[in-house]
Amino acid sequence: MNLERLPNEEKLSLCRKYYLGGFAFLPFLWLVNVVWFFREAFVKPAYTEQLQIKTYVKRSALGLLLWVAVLTTWITIFQHFRAEWGEVGDYLSFTIPLGIP
Amino acid sequence: MSNCSCYSAFLSFAGVSCNSVEKKIYVHLNYTVSCVRLLNATHQIGCQSSLSGNVGVLHVLESEENLDWVLHSGPNPPYMVILESPLFTRSVMMKLKNGSGRVAGVAVVAPNTNPAEGFSPHTTCPNENTGVYSETYEPTMANCNMTVWNPLGNGLSYEEFDFPIFSLKDDNDTQVIRQCYLDHNRAGNGSTPQYPLCAMQLYSHMSAVTDTATCMRRNAINFSLNPEMVCDPLGDQNVWASTRPLNNTAKGHKMWESVVIAAARLDSRSFFFDIAPGAQSGVSGFVTLLAAAHALRNATQEAQPNRTILYTFFQGETFDYIGSSRMVYDMENKQFVVDLDNVHSVLEIGQVGLRADSKLWLHTDPVSRRNESVNKEVEDLIGNLRSAATGLNVTVDVPGFSQPLPPSSFQRFLRARPIPGVVLEDHQSAYTNKFYESMYDNAENLNVSYPPNLTPEEQLEYITDTARVATMVARALYRQAGGEESQLSSIKADPQIVTKMLYSFLVRSNNSWFQQLGNVISFLTGFVCVVHHDFCCLQLVLNRNCTIRIFACSTHFPPPCDSSHLVPQMYNYMWVQGAAPPNSTEREGYCVRSTARLSKALSPAFDLEQYTSKNFSTWTESRWKFIKGRIFLVASHELEMLTLGVGVGVLLSSLLVTYIISSKADILFSSGREPTNATY
Repeated sequence: MNLERLPNEEKLSLCRKYYLGGFAFLPFLWLVNVVWFFREAFVKPAYTEQLQIKTYVKRSALGLLLWVAVLTTWITIFQHFRAEWGEVGDYLSFTIPLGIP
Repeated sequence: MSNCSCYSAFLSFAGVSCNSVEKKIYVHLNYTVSCVRLLNATHQIGCQSSLSGNVGVLHVLESEENLDWVLHSGPNPPYMVILESPLFTRSVMMKLKNGSGRVAGVAVVAPNTNPAEGFSPHTTCPNENTGVYSETYEPTMANCNMTVWNPLGNGLSYEEFDFPIFSLKDDNDTQVIRQCYLDHNRAGNGSTPQYPLCAMQLYSHMSAVTDTATCMRRNAINFSLNPEMVCDPLGDQNVWASTRPLNNTAKGHKMWESVVIAAARLDSRSFFFDIAPGAQSGVSGFVTLLAAAHALRNATQEAQPNRTILYTFFQGETFDYIGSSRMVYDMENKQFVVDLDNVHSVLEIGQVGLRADSKLWLHTDPVSRRNESVNKEVEDLIGNLRSAATGLNVTVDVPGFSQPLPPSSFQRFLRARPIPGVVLEDHQSAYTNKFYESMYDNAENLNVSYPPNLTPEEQLEYITDTARVATMVARALYRQAGGEESQLSSIKADPQIVTKMLYSFLVRSNNSWFQQLGNVISFLTGFVCVVHHDFCCLQLVLNRNCTIRIFACSTHFPPPCDSSHLVPQMYNYMWVQGAAPPNSTEREGYCVRSTARLSKALSPAFDLEQYTSKNFSTWTESRWKFIKGRIFLVASHELEMLTLGVGVGVLLSSLLVTYIISSKADILFSSGREPTNATY
């Protein structure tokens, strides 16, 4: 979808949908929001809806950073300590590697 | 991969043969026998390779000093070490184990004759934690404090290696490997060998890890995306038979039934998977007992003794007494035809194949003999054995000093209650078997040899043993069961039967005698089935693990088995393939009735789900996807990187050229002078 051809109200409503959708544990929507609307929010010359779009993009970026931090921490801990956790580690795993602890 | 399979049919019409690139690079190993991973409650033992196989540059080890090349000075690690059998010792293997990444794997060349000095990869004190001697039962005799039973044991089977170890036969394929090493890898006159070098890749990736509790837990998880079984408990089936039919549906104590247990062990092991000839450690014992059962078949029918003789053949005794612990557990929990109160005494036949001076030793447990009544029964049994040995050119004796029992299934019975019993062995103190639980414990170890130029059928019939021990055991059992003296002289074991059994179990099982029973697939041990034969005594039943049946007596039925007067709770009925009569090719099968049955030989730890149990065996064997190996030539790392770099460079430059051309396309591809307004 080419944002050039949309009127400004629809751009705003699209940005808002992606922003609200990301709260349903969908950080990827926030990533898309940031990447897609970055040029609209910060590079283009100002228009009425741009302020709203700017806030949505900023908040999406914030949520995205939070998710990335949490996931990176959890993944690091799990990959490092799964073998030591024994039973708990096995019950938390979807796929257990064969032949290594 | 074969990249001309599509063309092969077409080309073959043109008379051109198709050559696959893979076949030009790799030479696959035909005979792949490797060591596998086994787990118990606390440890994992055996070998492991990486998932994509371990690759290493071949090196044929010349001496123990040459290990320095592999471990320190060789310029092209990791190395795949080829060991000739004199170098397959504990010190060499321990140094390789600590090689820290420079050792990719080991291949041991198995010789065609046994080494002279003996080799036993088992521990010096077999089954020390699951026998009867422990901290609570005579600690002075526990852990082989008094007698070291297997002094030659180097414990290699119970070490853990993180590289694959394969066994190669000493034949043409191995000669190809040695030649490849000599052509490419040999460092001559102090110069380093140049690439390309000969390398080998071994795959033996094992799925299970850590210990039995972990792998049984991972077996049971069905929450994961791809549930997979990673290990299996060791176990198979015991075989038992009785001289009088016992009602198999009524389990538990049988009133007025007094039973003499005649026990033997079926299985053995070696360092490598599925090679376990066990000639002296297993076969000698159970063949003797089978021959004794065969010798008693008439006497126990016509002049029945007071007590019933229960012949039991235990499976899995190598791994902490799997079979006997299960049978004792079943007896204690009323899951077996008799229970421990019915057991009068036990006679176990241990390793009896290497009799120096035809002397056999009767081992007893001194701790239980401190009780007067038990001592009297043991003395009676010893007396029966001595008197049965007279006139047979076999001498039996007691060791003469207070010594614990050797590792034997009888120890598990003693753990339950003090039963009088004797274990018959051919060694007074330490084992005379120099190859206990190794791949060399074969026919050569038992001195079973045949003159050259005999066909397999002639070898089957060639008498290699005189069956005196079996006769002695049969007579002693008959006396112990309360039979009459007058019948003793008619009890004789048949050397023909003994020799056929030895041939079938030690040399070649696919012979005419076994084929009369059924389809002979494969045997020759491990903790796998053993085949018994003789219409009166043995039957092969094939299922996934090939099990044995022993018939203590049999009666023919006309086929088809007329089911009206069958009594399945007392007898077991089976179809036997039979032999073809002389003038036809159709085999005449028939039904056989016997009292032989199978009983489950799975450690109680798995039924009770006590995977860390100290009382029962907790051995499991890992699963694996495939075991294979191949050899090929490898190039140097620099050449590989150069090839990759050139490829990437070609890719980038072609992208660049394409971009340049496409951006200047209108200049480069002008199609002549076009008139701007073409009007005619």
